[in-house]
Parts: sequence; C-alpha cells; structure tokens
Amino acid sequence: MATLHLLSQSPFTNTQLKSCLRLLGDTDGLMLCGDAVYVLNSAPELAPELQVLAAKGALYALEEDQIARNCIQEGVVQSLNYAQFVALCCQYDRVNSWV
Amino acid sequence: MFYLPMKFVISVQASPQSPASRRALKFAQAVLSEGHEILRIFLYQDGVCNATSIPVLPQDELDLGVAWAEFIQQHQLDAVVCVAAALRRGILNTAEAQRYGRKASVLSDSWELSGLGQLHEAIQQADRLVSFGGS
Repeated sequence: MATLHLLSQSPFTNTQLKSCLRLLGDTDGLMLCGDAVYVLNSAPELAPELQVLAAKGALYALEEDQIARNCIQEGVVQSLNYAQFVALCCQYDRVNSWV
Repeated sequence: MFYLPMKFVISVQASPQSPASRRALKFAQAVLSEGHEILRIFLYQDGVCNATSIPVLPQDELDLGVAWAEFIQQHQLDAVVCVAAALRRGILNTAEAQRYGRKASVLSDSWELSGLGQLHEAIQQADRLVSFGGS
C-alpha cells in the first residue's frame, strides 16, 4: 500500500528522517512540515533517497512552514497548502505520522 | 484533484505551545472545508492541554484552547481527551475533580474525557488517521 510519511521534526535533532528513508517503499511519499522542512536547506546536495523522491514527484512540504523557516526550494519539492495536504492524505492509501 | 469524501480521525499529541497543535487545527479545518468528515479528534500525551481554555495568552497570540473549543462547537464534532493523560496534567472535568478532591475543573465543555479505546474504535471506522506531534 502506498504510504504517505509525515515528518515534522528537524533532521538535525534526531534520526527520524534517516529511519524513515530506510523504510520508504517504492510507491511511498514524504511530506515535510514543521522543522522537518530544514532538510531542504541542504539542496541541491540532498540525500540520494530524497533526490529519488523529488525526481518521482513524491516529495512534498507544507508551504507555510517553508515560508516561516525560509526553506523555499522551488523545483525540488512540491509546496502544498492545507487543502492540498488533505487531498494528499486521500491520494495515498494511508498516512504514517512520525511524531 | 477531487477525492470522494473520506472519514478522518485526527490525533494530537503535542502541547498547545508546539506548532504541531496549530497545524492539527488548520488541517482539521481544511478537512471539513474540503468536504470530508471528521469522525473523532483525539488528544493524547501533552496534546490533552489543548482541551482547556484556562491559560491566559498575550493578545497577539493565537489562543489554541479557545480556537479548538470554538471549532468543535461550531461543527458539533466528537472530541475526546485521553483520561489518563489528562489526569496527570491536571486537565479535569467536574466529575473527576470531585472524585479526586481537586478544587477546580478546567476541561472545556467541547471535550469529553475517555479512554484510549475511543481512538482505537475511531481508527477502525475511519479511512484515514492523521497524527500531529513533535514540532
């Protein structure tokens, strides 16, 4: 089943992102919100797994959190508002929140 | 893209001071405005502190306790607080305050104290569970 993984913690405070990337299935997506958007600051030198996701169009971020943290990397990530975030949850078979 | 209406359960595990709680509210508002249904909102761990309107915030800050209560009232939503998590954080309703001999009840009328089983039951009936915690 295609799973949307929802991350909200900074990649610099724990290994959640690493664990998540290890578990990602071929059809899974990754949604960054809150401090998790800070990972985009390392673009264009993103982790290879994130680059694969971005190329597939399966890397998303909450736009207001990107703006609040000045992590706006156009072309790398699909920026979503809340309505689009809800639609994304419907698009995938299930949502796995990493809290 | 348009999706058929779905049933959502929203669980909040972060304190009202965490951006995750505000995000949960904004998400819940979007779920309804996009034509979907919220079966239940469930507060757990530090998230239970969203169920009181007692804290006094500076005027230029969003009062999440009040915002949640108004949102739930307005849409007549099923809103449940984990009782074990609430008791240890002093979020009591009148019945629990009497039972444990405490002076005040602080739970907003919009919320109901109940057990984790309520989350499990809602997940069984829902199409999607979305949890908000962390930062």
